[in-house]
Amino acid sequence: MLLQSEIASILLNGLQQGAIYALLGIGLTIILGTMEFLNLAHGALYLVGAYVGLIVFQETTLSNGFLYSAGITSIGFEGGFLAAIVLVPIVGFGLGLLMERFVAEPFYDRPETDQLLVTFGLALIVEETVKNVIGGNTFQSIAPSTLFGVNVSQPIQLPFVGLFPSWRLLIIVITFLVIGVTYLAIERTDFGLVVQAGTRDSEMVRLLGIKINRSYSLVFALGAALAAFAGLIGASIQTVSPQIGTDQALIPAFLTIVVGGAGSVRGAIAGGMVLGLIISAMTQTYSQWAQIVLYLFVALMLVFRPEGLFGTGEVGE
Amino acid sequence: MSDEVATDGGAVVESEEPASGGSGGSALSRLRERDDFVVVASAAALVVFPFLLVDVLGAVGDVIGLSIGGYTGLPSLVLIYGIIVIGFNLLLGYTGLLSFGHAAFFGSAAYSAALFSQIVPSPLLMVVVGTLVATLLAWPIGFVSIRRSGVYFAVLTLTFGQALYFYALGPGSWLTNGDNGFSNIEADGLFLGALPFDAQLTPLPILDSYTVMYGFAAIAMLVAIWVGNRIINSPYGLIFEALGENEERVEFVGLNVFRYKLMAFVISAIFAGVGGALFVIHEQYIHPTTGLYWIQSGDFVIMTVLGGTGSLVGPVFGALVFEYVANVVSGVSLPAIGSIGSLWRFVLGAVFVTIVWVFPRGIYGAFADLAALVNGGGGEGGDSTDPAATDGGERE
Repeated sequence: MLLQSEIASILLNGLQQGAIYALLGIGLTIILGTMEFLNLAHGALYLVGAYVGLIVFQETTLSNGFLYSAGITSIGFEGGFLAAIVLVPIVGFGLGLLMERFVAEPFYDRPETDQLLVTFGLALIVEETVKNVIGGNTFQSIAPSTLFGVNVSQPIQLPFVGLFPSWRLLIIVITFLVIGVTYLAIERTDFGLVVQAGTRDSEMVRLLGIKINRSYSLVFALGAALAAFAGLIGASIQTVSPQIGTDQALIPAFLTIVVGGAGSVRGAIAGGMVLGLIISAMTQTYSQWAQIVLYLFVALMLVFRPEGLFGTGEVGE
Repeated sequence: MSDEVATDGGAVVESEEPASGGSGGSALSRLRERDDFVVVASAAALVVFPFLLVDVLGAVGDVIGLSIGGYTGLPSLVLIYGIIVIGFNLLLGYTGLLSFGHAAFFGSAAYSAALFSQIVPSPLLMVVVGTLVATLLAWPIGFVSIRRSGVYFAVLTLTFGQALYFYALGPGSWLTNGDNGFSNIEADGLFLGALPFDAQLTPLPILDSYTVMYGFAAIAMLVAIWVGNRIINSPYGLIFEALGENEERVEFVGLNVFRYKLMAFVISAIFAGVGGALFVIHEQYIHPTTGLYWIQSGDFVIMTVLGGTGSLVGPVFGALVFEYVANVVSGVSLPAIGSIGSLWRFVLGAVFVTIVWVFPRGIYGAFADLAALVNGGGGEGGDSTDPAATDGGERE
């Protein structure tokens, strides 16, 4: 019988892992939904986000970093991680624009297997570039010790839960904020309206005189920025190595949209949460079986409810 | 298992129009479709292949000062992966299904062959057992995955493959030895151990790449080519091809799409199983990352697409390029750049993207196009494919 505190910590850890999956899933699903483009390089963006975050953090925070050597010993409130929070999504956004223009666009009219293949190759290239430039070694996670002057390295006492790492709690807050803003941007703004309409029938949107190609670039870049941001968050709680792009990002992101339903933002959020809770519960009870149960759950889902929790079952089939 | 496939194809012949065997065309293209011609031509290529790959390239390498000759085990390794991708291409190139989970069949065959060798170290039985396990595994996985198409099919095969990988790594380690895998797997050699696998086939010391292992792999390769050729030139294979082009139309004709897709899946898994068992006999080790991890499935995809999905033996060129780059080029040290080392995968990724982009029909298709161009542009269909065959022969 599980203790009440164990259940509570399973829920919290599940939310935190689920939020990362949701960030990845939203990015993948809006690209798949709007452009019917399958991006196997989505994990590579997560990888880039993690490494850019790592580098920014090191260069601005640690005593061997660039800022320190330039004579600046502190930029206030331990700003390294904050700088990463700002820079990483920008880098991801730029990469997304480039990818849409030079990789995705020539393949919109090609068969989906070609899209899978070319983005798979791109993922290989990114992973190998990281290995050759930075090295294949593993880096420690980059959680800051203080943020906004608040100490976040110590666990704090929560009701029902007991001691819980305050950094992980903060991650839950930050990621849910980002997810919420993204959700509102897609559900409540004109841009989101175009994206949603494009998911249904991009030809019709074009006939209405809306420049959907520019929206395509923006959607792609938004998805990429979310993936890079997820990489930064992931890097703050897990070690960073070149394999994380596929192991911790690409495959979970695909599983997330399979569970949630392709093309649905709500589905990606729900799918991410479900998978996060499964992983968290299994890790705390039968950790050896965690991954297997996750994959088998998704397989069952595909067999019995292929359209996912919120999907229409049309995209990508 | 090859007989079963062939007779299955034969059974369909009776219910279909009998004259649908080939595309007609010239006498030469008809000749190319004949089993005996294909097998004899492949056999000839297999006889000279190790000499060209190891000895001739080695001699060239001595002249230019780079060790590009490769090691003596490379020809067998190329054939092993060649067998796998011939089967994989029946699924990807002909039936149009992209599986990201074929490492499951490769790995399960390799593991079961390794386990079986501890009881009876007979190589033939190891191949039989490995292939059998892969086939039995492919049936349920295919049965579930085939129900979905496109991305969902790719993701489903990937999830089953990864579930198996994590099982082998964790809960299944009582059987698979977990992260350590198995090493020093010894198979007896052929003819009840009379011919150990590292023994040479010829007494000539310069031909040291002609080992018993190579002969074994070459015979398996010939069988694979023969079976593959039989399948794609039978009405059964034509249905695979039709499925790849337009599934709905096949359904409207009244054929059971599900059954044919499942058969394509299982057949490709059989090839992967043969390759997995041969891999264990050749490399004498198996490990979850080598055998079951999804990157291994990705490697099959790369080889197939690199070589070209449009023909039976096209993917084998992909296997050749892949394994050559992985094993030989990665060890080469260039004068200006230095050691290539782990850069090989980067180069491979770049080459792969270029191939997908510019030559969707792969290296083999690009060579066929080039040969047609040299041969006078708009030649007839039969003429333009003929030089491609001789070209391919020279490369091997």
